[in-house]
Amino acid sequence: MLDAIISTRELLGRVDELLRTQRVIGPVRRDVPDATPPVRWFYEPVSSARQLDLGFAYCVYSPKQYLLPPRETLLEFHRTPDGFSARPVSDAQPTALIGVHPCDLHALVTLDRAFSHNGDDEHYQARRRRLLIVGVDCGKPCTPGVYCADMRANVADEGFDVMLQPLGAGADVERFGVRFGSPRGRAWLEAGGGCERPTAADERAADAWQERKEASFGRTLTTAHEDLPAMMARSYDSLIWEATARRCYSCGSCNLVCPTCYCFDVHDELDLSLQEGRRCREWDGCQLQDFALVAGGHNFRSKAAARLRHRLMRKSKWIGERTGGKGCVGCARCDRACTARISTVEIYNQLAEEV
Amino acid sequence: MKPRIAIFSLTSCEGCSLAILELENELLDLLGAVEIVNFREGMTERSWDIDVGFVDGAVSTPEDEREVTRYRACCKTLVAIGACACLGGVNTLKNRQEMESYRTYVYGERARWFPTTDARPISAVVKVDYELPGCPMNNREFLRLVKCLLAGVPFALPNYAVCVECKKAGNLCLYERGQMCLGPVTRAGCNAICPHYGSKCEACRGLLGAEALAAARLNMREIWKVDEERVLADLRLYGAYQGDGSKP
Amino acid sequence: MPRESVLEAGPVADIGAMAASPYLPEAARVLSVRSLTAMERLFDLEFADGRALGHAPGQFVQVSLLGIGECPISICSSPTRPQRFQLCIRKAGVVTAALHALRGGDMVGIRGPLGRGFDVSELHGKDVLIVAGGLGLAPARSLIQYVIDERARFGAFHLLYGAKHPSELLFREDLHAWRDDPAVDFHMTVDRPDEGWRGRVGVVTTLFRELPPLDPQRTVVAVIGPPVMFKFVLLEVLARRIPQGRVYCSLERRMKCGVGKCGHCQANDVYVCQEGPVFTYGRLKALREAIE
Repeated sequence: MLDAIISTRELLGRVDELLRTQRVIGPVRRDVPDATPPVRWFYEPVSSARQLDLGFAYCVYSPKQYLLPPRETLLEFHRTPDGFSARPVSDAQPTALIGVHPCDLHALVTLDRAFSHNGDDEHYQARRRRLLIVGVDCGKPCTPGVYCADMRANVADEGFDVMLQPLGAGADVERFGVRFGSPRGRAWLEAGGGCERPTAADERAADAWQERKEASFGRTLTTAHEDLPAMMARSYDSLIWEATARRCYSCGSCNLVCPTCYCFDVHDELDLSLQEGRRCREWDGCQLQDFALVAGGHNFRSKAAARLRHRLMRKSKWIGERTGGKGCVGCARCDRACTARISTVEIYNQLAEEV
Repeated sequence: MKPRIAIFSLTSCEGCSLAILELENELLDLLGAVEIVNFREGMTERSWDIDVGFVDGAVSTPEDEREVTRYRACCKTLVAIGACACLGGVNTLKNRQEMESYRTYVYGERARWFPTTDARPISAVVKVDYELPGCPMNNREFLRLVKCLLAGVPFALPNYAVCVECKKAGNLCLYERGQMCLGPVTRAGCNAICPHYGSKCEACRGLLGAEALAAARLNMREIWKVDEERVLADLRLYGAYQGDGSKP
Repeated sequence: MPRESVLEAGPVADIGAMAASPYLPEAARVLSVRSLTAMERLFDLEFADGRALGHAPGQFVQVSLLGIGECPISICSSPTRPQRFQLCIRKAGVVTAALHALRGGDMVGIRGPLGRGFDVSELHGKDVLIVAGGLGLAPARSLIQYVIDERARFGAFHLLYGAKHPSELLFREDLHAWRDDPAVDFHMTVDRPDEGWRGRVGVVTTLFRELPPLDPQRTVVAVIGPPVMFKFVLLEVLARRIPQGRVYCSLERRMKCGVGKCGHCQANDVYVCQEGPVFTYGRLKALREAIE
């Protein structure tokens, strides 16, 4: 059921209204002549709603950087001869994220859960509280190789303040079906007076659109979604881990582009005075050689095979079991980022053949 | 007492020394924290009572050898800066040719006036306490080392690939643009500056380890179907020096 | 469900102070530093505001030197001695090396207590066997002190301690006191003796011969030591038919955030800083990475 209908023109007007008071982030198209296809999209700040491309295929990076930046300051401190003073800081600012596909909405829910599970991470929550999330539905697989449907992440019922469904076909969508996920989202969109009541024809068009979408997704994963954790549990001692690890550079690209990877490292920085400094956190990745290294020199995951297994266990089993969020949303960013062409979904399928 | 610092140059373009002068925003703070007592690119006075010596350039002549031995004797801590000092750098390209042919090519009839040796990293001649690789070195990393030395804590280079910093910077991977970038096998610390500006990584900070290199050989052959030798030629731009006298 | 978003209007914020953060350390004063061995020092600490740490035996804290970093350290004193708390710190990395340079009067940052320690109420009324190896005696000591201070709540108390070499023995004063305490059945050994060593020689498992027969129905066991020790001690314990749910182990991992987010301390699916570092063997055996 749709809550409202809004025209593209009215929608962009509402975004421009947001721009008067806050940062707006959305998919921006970039021409990359030497790439195939010669265009990519990135989540970037815009200064006008017209810069958004809501018909984008996929963004190279997920929007996680706007909730968990690659690098952020947690504390500022001052060292004195007889001690120290420290204060927690944040540069969180009101932000609207416009144009998030269902896979990334699921991933944001995973991050929300991770950073509130067993106690809030205030630094994450400071950004989350200031974030308005506007989803936009994708009508078909955005690019070959995605397995979001296998992960039940190609449709999103939560994780947004407003969800937009393009109505009609073609690149120049003129109307969106609207679902509200929060009173705040409703208040924002309705404030312009441009929302219409959906007609029976609108509902039929939305349903037909949804059916076409569902039919357009094939299946890549040979294991049923609900059987994946059990299949993975049986594969712990598979040779596939070591065999695949022979190609792995342990470069961590898969971790860093993953919308549900949230591990981080913490380090201190000092000014040259050695008195003022900052405690910062930075993205880290379980594929990196030293991730499980302890002081004194023992590395609990010194082999690439053990690290590869750890990542896939987290994605397919452990994150879900721990927080209920999706460990993997099937966006295939890891597969695209891997310069060794190691494919996560291919590993799942190889393991399933064995066990 | 402020630590007394010297900056020396062997066979190189001295770009790494200049990178220190390019720390425009921090230069005054740096000069407040340390005393520079010997720096050809920056001053005329010379002192040989030195706490920390930074050396750029490869050892490429008998004179370089004498100089670096002298630096070692005069400096409590010796730091190699830049690809030349840490790996041998582009100077090592000559190691792959016959000495007489390149001497004659460069110096013509006067070749005998210019004695030369194979180019080597300075660690091949003297003990080095820290290395800041890169062509040029990253002056932010230089500052980080200086702060570690001032605070009396150990310094370590990142032990992960350039890809990590490239992804944090939000770059489009150069493999998606058809380039065989060496980022996956190269030590980070440069903030992926080359890929950020669209040029493939050429491993000027040195390789990460044998495991990554073995993976690279497999992947070049089986995944990318490219000539391993061609890709290895890229590695040799900075990393031709093998340490065992072999001609890579 | 994600929380309801509440848009906080206002101008674009520069970096600003926050009310709270799980990463903010509290100031604590170093009261004294004593050298235990060439590698380990014992720090007596108290919070600047005088409050007690309020920990359970087996828990840990994150110790900060702002500008250098933070490292996880087990608490080696018992909550029954709340005036101050003690940390035994081995010089192993950047932060611990800097901590070794501290003297009485210096300040450090403390976050904690963190993790899950021993549930002492489960131990009340039972016979207790503690097996400690090497630096494992430090976290074990928080429990040892607890049992001694609350002696009437426990049955028999056996304590086995093994070190590699006499020069690595920790807490020498305590070792003497435990040896002379009739309420503690204490045995220790070293792997390699030196000339002056008059005690036992052999790995810690050889001390099981010194124990009276254990009653599997009323004995709880705590095993704390390097990973290599676990398996052999567990074999001794399980051979004596102690139920797996009453055998506790403490795991060493790279706790970084200490609040179950950063991922560094994970052993398989378990965040050791949250579920551990103390686990029952019954739980631990499912964690392949913990015992391999």
